[in-house]
Amino acid sequence: MAIITTHNLSKVYNPDTIPVHALRDVSLEFEEGEFTTVRGPSGSGKTTLLNMIGGLDIPTEGFVEIDGTRITGMKDRELINFRLNNIGFVFQAYNLIPVFTAYENVSFIMLLQKREKSEMKERAEELLTAMGLSKKFDSRPKQLSGGEQQRVAVARALASRPKFILADEPTANLDTDSAMNLLDMMEKMNKEENVTFIFSTHDQRVIDRARRVITMVDGAIFKDERK
Amino acid sequence: MLLSISWRNIWRHPARSGVLLMAIVAGLWAGILVSALTNGWIHQRFVNLIQEEITHAQIHHPEFRTEGEPWMYIENSDDIFSFLDRDERILSWSARALIGGMIQSPLTSSGVQIRGVQTDRERATTTFHENLTEGDYLDSELRNPVLLGERLANKLNVEVGNRIVLTFQDLDNEITSGSFTISGLFRTASNPYDERNVFVRDVDLQELLGDAVFHEIAMMLQDEGLSEAVTSNINNEFENIVAESWYELSPELRYITDMGGGLIVYIMAVILLALAFGILNTMLMAIFERMRELGMLLAIGMNKMRVFFMIMLESVILTLTGAAGGLLLAWLTLEYLGEKGIDMTSMGGDSMAEFGYDAVVYPIAYSNDYLTTITLVVITALLAAIYPAFKALSLNPREVVRE
Ligand SMILES: Nc1ncnc2c1ncn2[C@@H]1O[C@H](COP(=O)(O)OP(=O)(O)OP(=O)(O)O)[C@@H](O)[C@H]1O
Ligand SMILES: [Mg+2]
Repeated sequence: MAIITTHNLSKVYNPDTIPVHALRDVSLEFEEGEFTTVRGPSGSGKTTLLNMIGGLDIPTEGFVEIDGTRITGMKDRELINFRLNNIGFVFQAYNLIPVFTAYENVSFIMLLQKREKSEMKERAEELLTAMGLSKKFDSRPKQLSGGEQQRVAVARALASRPKFILADEPTANLDTDSAMNLLDMMEKMNKEENVTFIFSTHDQRVIDRARRVITMVDGAIFKDERK
Repeated sequence: MLLSISWRNIWRHPARSGVLLMAIVAGLWAGILVSALTNGWIHQRFVNLIQEEITHAQIHHPEFRTEGEPWMYIENSDDIFSFLDRDERILSWSARALIGGMIQSPLTSSGVQIRGVQTDRERATTTFHENLTEGDYLDSELRNPVLLGERLANKLNVEVGNRIVLTFQDLDNEITSGSFTISGLFRTASNPYDERNVFVRDVDLQELLGDAVFHEIAMMLQDEGLSEAVTSNINNEFENIVAESWYELSPELRYITDMGGGLIVYIMAVILLALAFGILNTMLMAIFERMRELGMLLAIGMNKMRVFFMIMLESVILTLTGAAGGLLLAWLTLEYLGEKGIDMTSMGGDSMAEFGYDAVVYPIAYSNDYLTTITLVVITALLAAIYPAFKALSLNPREVVRE
């Protein structure tokens, strides 16, 4: 069974002035363990799609189901809680709390989930180590490179034990080496722990690493290929 | 963890937070000091009035305080005296004969209240004798000694050893007068008092009045709080007299005691109102520059209550840190000044004497004042943060996470 289903999703921005059709009738299914990228030209609706799936934006038409739960139409407070416990997020930038260390950033989300202290510590250490950051526990975001920051963000996203991780252009601000390194880490987590990743990108080398490539054009699904 | 995030957020801009902290420290320090000074003044005035003259309770003829006629003296005073002696709550008492009259020197004359006091008892009951600045108290060897205020002596152009004449109505409403020798001069904290009162021995005054009468009995109690109980006892026991507590006797005491406690609230309210705008501004700046970060927190699943609480906490911690500094500084200052006092003479403190207040003030801060201040500070911090915190809640994570 699919863990994510989008049913005829449409999104129109500014319907009353100059309407922008950011999504047109998008119906997709995502299975557990996928390593999928969403590609397409700028303005094609990648961010809008990921935001819909992540419950950060509300569709004009259609709805999103996650693991059988319909998130479209949930109350604000319910939705925040749903996000906390089911979805991991990695953004292009501003992922981390600048006053917290890498370790604290990763623990923070588990604290929000009210997890056990001992579990928090163990998991934060384990994930940061897996992300190749064993020497950076006590570094603040400012003291980390862009690639390291994004790896902390992935560790943070994984820490909450989500059903899947959404990453909107996670490599956009990174140089090639760092981007490939981040992809290595994500791929490792996907293979070893069966973590589902859905990420958007412009970068052909990142696209090459994905096992499913969804191409968007002008708000609609243009191609959906699996390798 | 929220506490830790709030604390660290405050120090993201050490200069900005530092300036606000300094303002809070300075504001609260000044507020506590002003209120402590005023408390000190009030307390000194209270002590002066009670200990020098009013005492804790007094007995009069029921109409004496309004009419003040010589014949409105206390009947059965001997019975009352022995009654007072039997009451353990009464530490000491002193009876006074009081007559309105005229004082004349070779140069000029002036209207005065003539106070005939029982010299030993008055010394034991009040501290008035400590106000003597020159000469001796009434128990000197002189015949008909009199004590004058320094100011009155200047006005009459007389000094210790000179003679003056006191003229007044006796108990039969006849004008009578006697010659008195100035045995000493006094100065109290109140200039008007010094100009209008002279002290003589009860026996000397009674001789001229025509009978050994007293118009007033003043008593010091073990505790000022006993005055109501003691006066009602006396009122139940005797007729044709009225016993009253200090609270009833002195409108001024009543006023300053009623008002004194709440003073800190008014002073702090003004200071905190000014500080509130500083806090509001700092918090707004802190929110605006963190929009993306706050949006990220909402996106990953930190609920709005927590975000709201975090911002409130930040404001409260910031403000309380300043408050702690301000109160500590104020406390240290007061520890130092509380013993030394502040001499206000150079700041025009002399003019305070016109109103009966000492020029050297010993500031007093009550522990309640600190508590009240902290409460007001927390309220201010919360109020000032409400708007910025709501601003943060109106964030839409979708907008904020879009690059
Ligand atoms: N809040 C908004 N109001 C109006 N139009 C919007 C809003 N957000 C997005 N759009 C429009 O919706 C369309 C899709 O935008 P979206 O950000 O999803 O594209 P994208 O594929 O992520 O592009 P990019 O590669 O540049 O990130 C664009 O035309 C964009 O201008
Ligand atoms: Mg985008």
